[in-house]
Amino acid sequence: MTGIEWIKAASVLGAGMSVGFAAIGAAVGEGYTAGKANEALSFRPNLVGDILKTMLVGQAVAETAGIFGLVIAMLLLFSPIEGKSVLTAWAYMGAGLSMGLSAIGCGIGAGLPAGTACQGIGRQPMVSGQLSTLMLIGSGVAQSTAIYGFLIALLLLYKQLPMGMAIVPACSMVGAGLCMGFGGIGPGIGEGMAAMEAVSAVARNPLTVGLMTRTMLVGQAVSESTGIYSLVVALLLVLSV
Amino acid sequence: MEELGRIHQLIIPFFGHDLTFNLEVIIMTWIVISILLLFGFLASSKKGVIPGPLQVVGELLVAQLFALTEDALGEELGKKYAPLICALFMFLVLSNWIGIVPMMHEPTKDLNTPLSLGLLGFFISHYLGIKTKGIKAYLKAYVDPFFFMMPLNVIGEVAKVVSISFRLFGNIMGGSIIILVISYLVYNLILPPFLNAFFGVFVGAIQAFVFTMLTLVYIAVQVK
Repeated sequence: MTGIEWIKAASVLGAGMSVGFAAIGAAVGEGYTAGKANEALSFRPNLVGDILKTMLVGQAVAETAGIFGLVIAMLLLFSPIEGKSVLTAWAYMGAGLSMGLSAIGCGIGAGLPAGTACQGIGRQPMVSGQLSTLMLIGSGVAQSTAIYGFLIALLLLYKQLPMGMAIVPACSMVGAGLCMGFGGIGPGIGEGMAAMEAVSAVARNPLTVGLMTRTMLVGQAVSESTGIYSLVVALLLVLSV
Repeated sequence: MEELGRIHQLIIPFFGHDLTFNLEVIIMTWIVISILLLFGFLASSKKGVIPGPLQVVGELLVAQLFALTEDALGEELGKKYAPLICALFMFLVLSNWIGIVPMMHEPTKDLNTPLSLGLLGFFISHYLGIKTKGIKAYLKAYVDPFFFMMPLNVIGEVAKVVSISFRLFGNIMGGSIIILVISYLVYNLILPPFLNAFFGVFVGAIQAFVFTMLTLVYIAVQVK
């Protein structure tokens, strides 16, 4: 096999991993949101407009992780590969792993607060604006690690690599992908849980919205720290080549 | 497919360095700014008790965003920083929506725009944090819970800028790449308008709001 063939093979493999894994999380998160919206509608059928609107906005945010996976897959499939080093093949596999795996947790994590917001609007229709705002902040922050995965994937895609094959740089690029990918799963779900409980607490006691937002952000920042360790290690691995 | 990731650049040699300007982004940013100025002028020129349509839109935006800012920052700081939040939101929404007009490109599609806005929020929030809490209490937040955590707290603050700007950039650039690739695959039949409506109008508005709210919340965390 020639170098070009290896790169082509890695790009299709990476694209499959990227969009395939990313689809898991986004779909679970969106399904959870829709389920909770159904539950809320079953006892508040007259709020159908508000709840459907919140459900769609929440699902669109949860979909972001899946869309990132699709974008990386398309960039992998349609990038020009002539005259590139054989190492590019390994970088492409790393990019697919980084984006795909890290999107699993973030899709689920962004769906959790969205579902609870639908439920909360059923409980407290008067504060639907505050609940939607808190949900958007919480889901947005829960996606941070998928964004770090996206960053690492873009770095791996566009890195200028030395010609020729060596096993250490090759493995460090796949390692960067694995590191950011697996490191992104847990923080995504954990931050989603923090946001979910904050939204549900505001739905119980709307007066605490300011305190809940700050506490949620501090908790999310702490639970994101393992994702940031992964980001640092992945950056070190990518930049060491 | 050659358009994927291509940028029009103007490179000027400057004392041995190359200054690079992304012309398209600069021009589109100026177009967005002039539309906003025109909107502001038209909405406020003929003020009346019975408002015109533009005045209604302007009042709605300003009232909602002022209320959100005052909720987060309190009465006094809220009044001071609400114009910033209003301007940020209106600029981002228009930047994200302008891509649905043929031949126009979103300025937020280029990483430079979201990153500079993220840095703006970063500097404002830390400046306000030092100003309201004092330098001692501000620095003490970094050695929380114990001293060895300091490097990670600093990295965490920088990572906030990365995540806030890449979120906007990834969504808008991702949307435009998906529209480009799918339009190419279906020979520009039927699908592209729906994709533009979803990625341009819907996702664009949500991401502009998320960016604005996160900037506001990061400021609020530093202040309190």
